[in-house]
Amino acid sequence: MSSSSPASVKCVDQWLEKLYKCEILPEENVKTMCKKAKEIFSSESNVQTVSTPVTICGDIHGQFYDLMELFKMGGRVPDTNYLFMGDYVDRGYHSVETISLLLALKIRYPHRITILRGNHECRTSTQVYGFYDECMLKYGNSEIWRHFTDLFDYLPLTALVGGSIFCLHGGLSPSIDSLDHIRILDRIQEVPHEGAICDLLWSDPQERTGWRSSARGAGFEFGMDVSETFVHTNCLSMVSRAHQMVMDGYNWCHAGHVLTVFSAPNYCYRCGNQAAILEVGEESDTFRLTQFEHASGLQGRENIPKSLPDYFL
Amino acid sequence: MDRLSESSAFDVSTHTFTVPEKQLKSPEDMLHWSTSQAYSNIVGFVLTLNEAVKNKKISDEYPVSEITRNVMGILETIEKWIDEIPPVDQPQRFGNKAFRTLFGRLKERGPDLVKRVLPPELEGAVPELCTYLVESVGNETRIDYGTGHELAFVAFLCCACKIGVLHEEDYPALVLKVFDRYLNLVRRLQMTYRMEPAGSQGVWSLDDFQFLPFLWGSAQLYDHARIKPKSFPEEDIYNSFYKDYLFLAAIKYINQVKTGPFAEHSNQLWGISGVASWHKVNSGLVKMYKAEVLGKFPVMQHFLFGSLLTLQPSPPRIFTSVSTESSESQTPMQCLTPKATPFATPSNSHNMLPSHNAAAAASLFQTHLGRQVATSKSDGTPSAEDSTSPDISSQGSI
Repeated sequence: MSSSSPASVKCVDQWLEKLYKCEILPEENVKTMCKKAKEIFSSESNVQTVSTPVTICGDIHGQFYDLMELFKMGGRVPDTNYLFMGDYVDRGYHSVETISLLLALKIRYPHRITILRGNHECRTSTQVYGFYDECMLKYGNSEIWRHFTDLFDYLPLTALVGGSIFCLHGGLSPSIDSLDHIRILDRIQEVPHEGAICDLLWSDPQERTGWRSSARGAGFEFGMDVSETFVHTNCLSMVSRAHQMVMDGYNWCHAGHVLTVFSAPNYCYRCGNQAAILEVGEESDTFRLTQFEHASGLQGRENIPKSLPDYFL
Repeated sequence: MDRLSESSAFDVSTHTFTVPEKQLKSPEDMLHWSTSQAYSNIVGFVLTLNEAVKNKKISDEYPVSEITRNVMGILETIEKWIDEIPPVDQPQRFGNKAFRTLFGRLKERGPDLVKRVLPPELEGAVPELCTYLVESVGNETRIDYGTGHELAFVAFLCCACKIGVLHEEDYPALVLKVFDRYLNLVRRLQMTYRMEPAGSQGVWSLDDFQFLPFLWGSAQLYDHARIKPKSFPEEDIYNSFYKDYLFLAAIKYINQVKTGPFAEHSNQLWGISGVASWHKVNSGLVKMYKAEVLGKFPVMQHFLFGSLLTLQPSPPRIFTSVSTESSESQTPMQCLTPKATPFATPSNSHNMLPSHNAAAAASLFQTHLGRQVATSKSDGTPSAEDSTSPDISSQGSI
């Protein structure tokens, strides 16, 4: 950590202590945290180099207590190195606490945790899917939301683990043949509605071959032939991505070239899915997929206040 | 105001049907949507049906025409296919791929099903109506379902009304029989094929899959003497009354499929149980529907526009004496939802919608059909004002 920053080690440790208990930080601390995190992300690449060993994780979507389960399974930072592949916010109750914790960990241990951008780390998605509402509920104004979403523009888009595991939130793009193409993109912007950055965060693998416009309305669906070519051209062992819920927490497709990892168990309280993490060893060709279930018990959620949406006031 | 005799503005001899397509390509297009004929039609239709089911139980007496029964027959046929196309045991990501088989069958056989409910002179409408019907069961590729698919079913019914196949006397049955049947169908699809919530807002929305059973369902309970909003989360209440009330059936279904305390997994509904009256719940849900479903680009980008629901600008409104308190709120203005207030940038234009007064919107829908009707009290006497209007006419709170 830089000692010239107003966020000292002791200060960030105090933040972490609160955040691990699922307590939000005061507005001023969040602003400082976002400012410091922005400095760190500014020095990171669109294809961030990550060393092994590392544990790779998928979507969290504000499921804070399930993130705690994840850390129980995989170990805490800095004992374990982590790479998160985006979608920290929206849908769940605790997007603020989740993203705050991950950012505080990044500031405290910048080389022990890598945080990529997901399609939900943007202004348009967070206004639709709940993060904005949560910020308003917890802070009473939109400033905090603005600080977070301004910061999201700086999150790296992809990572390369151990020189061979390519990690990103969504999938491949017809505009991108090589990692070098990604390196030269200007990523410091709102996620566009189309184009390479959009595709990297929105695309999905498909069973057919070739390319198809995505049923989601953004990004593409790409076939096994596309994955094979990309992996071969870029001397990769595989593509690790998130973005899609999977019943078992992880799902291999495209003859082992593409792995989906999803880390939000029992999604929307109904799907009954397991979550998973990909634990990559010192050698990037040794890895283990570990599954986990949603956190049981109320865990401090006993007294959920009755809040009324504005439409009924 | 006297109820005028019906005369349809739809002339099949001069109308060219088309196969509906997506036309909203970017959030900037939301302004076209919110000022379009399709928007007016859909909002008017939803509000009209809302009026039609106020204080009505499913088991009450109301007309159930042969056409209505035929539409229900279509839904029953599709539901039978679920038994004929069981889930498959194959490696899959989440949703069961057998859904794609059923979807394929609906694409193939849907036109014949729809033809059964149309008179011969309206057979040209089959492809257009069938497109909405197919869209209403979910997404074939992603094996998911959401409020956009529910909206497609509304579009199907709305188009059937526009071409004169369904009529005003069918309105209660459209909700209490047809839509109820549709809900049973999609719930079976969701459970059988393990369909994923499409674009769910999670704990920040009413429900992952549906919206209208809560909206129309709250109209059913509008003046209920005993069941108040605070009691709908109670198991005794929804178990005792779900057969008659869409709202309670929806709560029962949620409790069947979700895990954990209701206050946690359905926090918005839990909050709504704190609202004092069903009047307020209903008017709030109308505002919420316009903002959270009709006002969101991620939902509306998938909406299909054809010859009956078009993106053409809505014609200037001709206001009758249907509702008196609405006049000052009838200018085609933009209504800021709470979220849009600080961010009036083009990229957020999808959060902005014009305001609609309930009765005027209902009147607008009828006007599009070529009919003019007065809103009336349940005893049939014309009323000078609609009892829901004061709430619905207000802008989204800022």
